[in-house]
Order: sequence, then C-alpha cells, then structure tokens
Amino acid sequence: MTGTGFRIRVEGLSAFPVGTGKADKPADQERANLLPHGETGVNNKMTSRQERLVLEEGTEAAERPSVGEISGTPSSRVKRYSLMARLSPDQRYRVRQSALDFTALFIVIQVASVIASVIWPNSFAYINSANLLTGFEAIPLLGITAIGVGVLMIAGEFDLSVGANFIFSSIVMAMLANQGLPVFVAALIALAIGCGIGLLNGLITLWFRIPSLITTLGTTGIWTAATLYVHGAASETFTTSGAFATLTSGSVGVLPAELFWMIGLGVFCWAFLQRHRIGNHIFAVGGNARAANSTGISVRRTKLIAFAFAGTLAAFSGVLAASRVSVITPGGETDLPLQVIGACVIGGTALMGGSGTVLGMVLGAALLYWIEDVLLLLGAPGFYLDAFVGALIIAAAALYTVAKQRRVS
Amino acid sequence: MTSTPSNERPSLLAIRDVCKTYAGVAALDNVSFDVGKGEIVGLLGDNGAGKSTLVNVMSGVVVPDSGSISWEGQPVSMHNRIDSAALGIETIFQESALVASMSVTRNIFMGRELTGRLGFLKQRAMREASAETLRGIVAIRGVKSTEQLVSSLSGGQKQAVAIARAVYYKRKLLVLDEPTSALAARATAALFEYIGVLREQGLSSVLVTHDLYDAYKICDRFVVLGRGQVVMSARREELELDDLFKFVSRG
Repeated sequence: MTGTGFRIRVEGLSAFPVGTGKADKPADQERANLLPHGETGVNNKMTSRQERLVLEEGTEAAERPSVGEISGTPSSRVKRYSLMARLSPDQRYRVRQSALDFTALFIVIQVASVIASVIWPNSFAYINSANLLTGFEAIPLLGITAIGVGVLMIAGEFDLSVGANFIFSSIVMAMLANQGLPVFVAALIALAIGCGIGLLNGLITLWFRIPSLITTLGTTGIWTAATLYVHGAASETFTTSGAFATLTSGSVGVLPAELFWMIGLGVFCWAFLQRHRIGNHIFAVGGNARAANSTGISVRRTKLIAFAFAGTLAAFSGVLAASRVSVITPGGETDLPLQVIGACVIGGTALMGGSGTVLGMVLGAALLYWIEDVLLLLGAPGFYLDAFVGALIIAAAALYTVAKQRRVS
Repeated sequence: MTSTPSNERPSLLAIRDVCKTYAGVAALDNVSFDVGKGEIVGLLGDNGAGKSTLVNVMSGVVVPDSGSISWEGQPVSMHNRIDSAALGIETIFQESALVASMSVTRNIFMGRELTGRLGFLKQRAMREASAETLRGIVAIRGVKSTEQLVSSLSGGQKQAVAIARAVYYKRKLLVLDEPTSALAARATAALFEYIGVLREQGLSSVLVTHDLYDAYKICDRFVVLGRGQVVMSARREELELDDLFKFVSRG
C-alpha cells in the first residue's frame, strides 16, 4: 500500500472479469461501481456497512472520492496535512491548472513593495495615492488588451496589430464625435472597427494559412498608415462630458471606471473561457487543432471568434484611453502589442496555445506595470526599465516551461 | 486465398474494389475489405503497403477513385471525418486523438459538450459521466481523477481514454492506427484486453499494427496488404502465427 489513504479492494469491478469473483447482488454491483476500483483479487464480500467504515477511516476531505474521481487513492506525493491534501483529487487537479501559483508570486511582490514603502516612505513612495491612482488608470488599458490577446493566444494565434488598432479605432471615434456624431455611436463604430480589424487578421491568417505573427505584423503597418491617411500626423483631441465621460473615465470613490471595466470584462471572459462551450473550443483548438477538428469543432470559426475578440478589446481599450487622456497621438502605442504578449506570458498563457487564465493575464499586466513603477520609484534610468521587463518576460517563459515539464513527469 | 467475410457475423463495413492513385502510383489497387459486427480485423503489411490509405478511406479523409463502400448493407459515401463519425466510425490516430493541455473530462466531451442554456457547460454532469465511462477500465488504472490533464497520462492511458470516448458516443467501428507502437508490453496487453472486452459488447475494431504476437491473440481475422493489394485474408483458425509472419514479410 502506498500513500496515506485507504484503499478498497473489491473484485469484479472492472468491466470484464479479470478475477474470479463478482459482486453477487445487483445492488452490491451498483454500489461497488460507485467506488474507486482497487487492485483485484482480495475481498469482494464487503457489505455496505464495511464500505462505509473503510470510507470513514480516512477523515480528511481528500480521502472521500468526489464526482470526477476514478480511483480514491490520494497521491503519495501529497503530504497528509498540506493544504493540497485537504482537497479531493478532482479539486487538486483543478487548482493546479488555475493561476494560483502566479497569484501567490504577485501577492509576494505586492507585499514586499508595501513593506518597502512603509520603511522608506520618502524615497519609495509606493503607497501614495497619486502613485496608486496612476496605476489603477494605466493597468486596465494594458489589462483589457491583454485579455483579448490572451484569449487569442490560447486559441494558438497572435495579434501584433493591437497597438495600431487601438490608435486607429480611437482616432476615428474622436474624429466622428468632434464632427457632431453622438459619442456613444462613435464609440460603437470604434468597437466595430476593432472587431473588423481582428476579423480581417483572422481571415487573412486562415485563408492563406500563414502564421498570424506575420499577418498582424503586416496589418500593423497597414493600420498605422491608415491612421495617418484618414487623420494626418497631428494629435486629435477628444473631450467628453455627461454619461459617456462618467462611464469611461469617471470614478467610484478613488477607483477609476477603467478598473471596473477590466474587472467586469475579466469575470465575463473567465466565464466565457472556463464555463462556456465556445471557450472550451478555444482551448481545444489551441491545444491540438487536429484533435479538435476530428471531434467536429470548427477550427476556423473558433479562431475567427478569438481574432475578432482580440480586435474588439484593443479598440475598447483605445476608447477608454481616449476618454481618459483626451489626446490621441497617431504613431503611439507601438510598445503595446509586445507588452500585452509579455503580460500574458508572465501570467502563464502558453505561447503555443492551449492554456492560460484570465486572472493570469490581468495580474501579468498589473505586474508588468508595477515592476516599471517600482523601478521608477527607485530612480532607475529609463532604459533599465525596458531591459528589466524584457528579462522578466524571458524568465517567466523559462519558469513556466520548467514547471510544465515537472508537472508532466 | 480470397477475401473471407466471417460467415457467422453480419456485415458492418464492406469496401469493394477500391482504387486510389497518387501521382500515378497505385496506393490501393482493387482492394476489398470487410468488417463484421463484433469482429476485430488485423490490418497488416509493410510500410507503404497501403494501410494508411485504407485507414483514411475508412475515416473519410481519402475519397477513393473507384469502388464502393457500404455500411450495414447500405451504400455510403464519406468525404471527411465528420461523415464517418456520423455513421459510427471512429478513427484513432496515435498522436492526434486528444488535446494534451485539457482534462480527461473535457476531452471526452470535446465538440459535444453538455450545455445548459446559452451554451454554458454542465460541468458536474460531464465529470460524473466521464468518471462513469472510465471506471473499471484496466488500461487506465492509475488515472486518479477525470480532472487530470491528458498530458499527465501515459501512452496506454491516452489510447484507452480515446477509445472510451468512442464507446461513450456509441461508435460501432474503431479504426486504431498503430495504437501500441509507443507502448510498453504491459500497456499493450491491457489495451488489447480492453479492445477484446469491447468486442464482447458488440463493437468492431480494425487494428493496424506491426505487433503480430499480440495481434494474433486478439484478432478474429487478418488482412495483409502489399503494394496496394490484398496479399492475404484469412480467419485466425485458418492460419498459424508463423504463416502470418511469412505473409507480412513477403509483402
């Protein structure tokens, strides 16, 4: 016997008779089927009372088989009193697939920053309302775009054109609104443009069967040029008031509206990815397109949805930014695509597709911002930031690769 | 020897005089191939003998140039894997059957998720159903939870999950392309045992394999291909393992 758990030995549980005995009564058979099957060959005359006794020997939650469990023996590697052991195997596997490990890292860095700022309040003004507010306004712009790109990455594709999309759709919105179109209509048009840019990326990628990295590298140039063509190189101002301003750049207490948009979108996307059929298809298509296809999932349609989603969220982020900053500069946001891909990678989204969590993407974006913030507070020169963030992305990718290999073996 | 459909079993799949030519080379040259209900047919032959093309014909991926296919006595035409799946044929290729980055449950229900209103997943129902499907299969012993990722399973367990999925969806014919080529001896035995159990339940299988020893124990009939033609077709009672080796090596 291995491990700490109970093991029930009941014969005749396998679908075919390996041993000699079988549970004699239908009711027994049925009850036995609900139990995990152990090795065959010892005791099949177990009454329901005995079974209950055996089940109750293990008092921890870990030792009660749960819904999706096939065999009730907890892994011997899991220590009896560790937190993980308190979960059923079912729950344990789900926890391992969540962004929990990343969340822990995130919290550690946050706590360290807070402590540092308490010790050196003057030189390291981390808990400072101005610093925090800037963060809460800046992170959602990165985070919302990262969610879109992250979902697309799970589907196994990339979008480098989110920066150009961000600028183009928001500048068109500003132009239309400044010409007298109702601002809500202008914003909807911006979202439609973003969605269209995403769809076009998808159609080109799937139609010509070229890597989306190349497609979107190309469309980045096209939409950057399109911005200059429809608008020119001057900045566009965009001032709003009323309901639109409240919704996009208002605040609840000290918390800006963007933060709520990011949280709301995050919850929506989590439900969509983890609990909805289409989200499930996105994981399947990114994980193994051939296997997904052979079960009847339309790979093209699923990927197109993801492309459109990434484009729409990039445009939405652009709308929020325009409302907050009031100025849109053509040729801006060139760093955005790589930053959001970096945020997704830091948050544990697989570069080759097939896995990732919304929480990871959002926290990845937050971490990316906050690391920059901390370096600024420490007075590091600007070029250090880029180097540090670059190193962080590489380290994160390497770490996840190692962790994944360990998990598999 | 001629093609011998089993006398006692009603026909499930009957492929007649199928030809397929690639760039002037005949991959299949007047091949006839039968599978009876509840029968395991070993499809053998050297590399390039036409096994893969025949498997692709059965899965609908390759449409033959000439010849006919009938399913349960009715003439059919298949153009892709969805068509063959609709008939009840499940082709399980070695590496592409499952999505490694997803859980066992999600793989079993892939593309046919149980959903409630608005397309949201019924997770609990899916977990229960998949645990029920997999319970008691010796070939997947060691899998503790259906929430485990497929990447954490061994090769034999993966194959068994793919087969169990086909069984869950009430497929009538399994086409297994080299299911054991990457497996250890024990895993191979467990997998073949499982396929044998499924035969008792009325499921037919086509087993493409190089593993003659194990195949000889389980298959009811053998068809050996060589250069796109049927070299031999015989029931197991009609031949010894040595004969099989001779036919396969002669091609």
